[in-house]
Amino acid sequence: MTVTREAFVLPGLFLTVTLLGGFRVDDRITLVPPPLAALLLALVMLSTLVRGRVFAPALLMSESRTNAENLSGLVVLLTLFAASAQALHLVTPDRGLLHGIFVVFLFVQLLTASAAGTDRAGLLRTLVVTLGAAFILRFIVLEALYASDGGVLKRVLTALLAGVSLGGIEYAPHATITGYVAFATLALYIVGLYLLPAGGIASMLQQQNAQLHGSRRPATDLPTPSVPAARGPVTEGEVLDG
Amino acid sequence: MSRVAGLLFSVAYAAVILWVYSAEPQSRAEAVGGLAATIGAYRIDERAFDDGLAAFKRDAFEEARMAFERADPASRDARTQFYIAYSYYRQGWGRVYNDDELFAKGLEAVERAIAAAPGHRLDVEDPDLQMRSTDELKAELQEGMRRDASDFNPLRLFRERK
Repeated sequence: MTVTREAFVLPGLFLTVTLLGGFRVDDRITLVPPPLAALLLALVMLSTLVRGRVFAPALLMSESRTNAENLSGLVVLLTLFAASAQALHLVTPDRGLLHGIFVVFLFVQLLTASAAGTDRAGLLRTLVVTLGAAFILRFIVLEALYASDGGVLKRVLTALLAGVSLGGIEYAPHATITGYVAFATLALYIVGLYLLPAGGIASMLQQQNAQLHGSRRPATDLPTPSVPAARGPVTEGEVLDG
Repeated sequence: MSRVAGLLFSVAYAAVILWVYSAEPQSRAEAVGGLAATIGAYRIDERAFDDGLAAFKRDAFEEARMAFERADPASRDARTQFYIAYSYYRQGWGRVYNDDELFAKGLEAVERAIAAAPGHRLDVEDPDLQMRSTDELKAELQEGMRRDASDFNPLRLFRERK
């Protein structure tokens, strides 16, 4: 990963997602900070991303990196957490029973994706589908159902839903621009995830060899015959075993 | 060097985000003006303010407010917001009853003036005004919106607009 990507591109992308994730327009512009549920979902999301090797924390922060590099990596991690919280908050209704249902849906989906143990590409596809489905439910289905210019049938249906759930199901529709901004925000978030440093086997080997030998040369360069090393380079088998 | 620059960029961007979330600007002018006010670089349009003041003094309140809003598009200047609030008070004041809607807008404006004033208190040196501080104006607006037995006091008909 280049310095520019780590220091500017990724924090910039994730901070933009953080900014736009709370953007709502109805009769005025409001910016909604992430609720507690979104923060918890973001933690699960980070765990899922690490398990699915979408990114390797060791490539952002480790002993082999300098202080400046570690600080830069920490910024990426913090902004990724904030962006994840806002991206998940974005596809979740703000209150009511629907908020709870969406949170449980996302929580189960993330745990399922994490437990499935798919590779990087597979997990990214899963996340695109999950976030896309939640986006469609919230910004297309619910917005259409609860639109203020809806017909009599829609009003009867929403009144029935509210009655059956004893007022638990409620939804405040937003202006159309909210959906467009939400779409762009989710797209930026997915792009950010794709740009994260992947935790593949090669990069892990490189990282561990760098720690063993105090340098960051590629794994294939270590060790040289003339310099006796404390031990040989870490092999792919050792990494997979342990 | 690049990493330090990146860190500064991230910190600055995060600070802007925190400010935007706390201020919730409703327009580009409010956003830019608010950011400028945060670093002490916000200036009102003095010519538009003078136009507003002239209109205010001849009781052309709507015209005055248009000029004041042009002078202070970000609603960040305490003195301008004070005059906007005062214009709502004078326009909404009535010998028999006050216009609650205008008084409510006046209250919002005086709250903005208090928020923008250093130490949350503003004194305006204007001999044409009977209320020269934000506290007096706010109390008068709140009093005007209150419903109580004194509303039926016939002596109210002899009170004067401030």
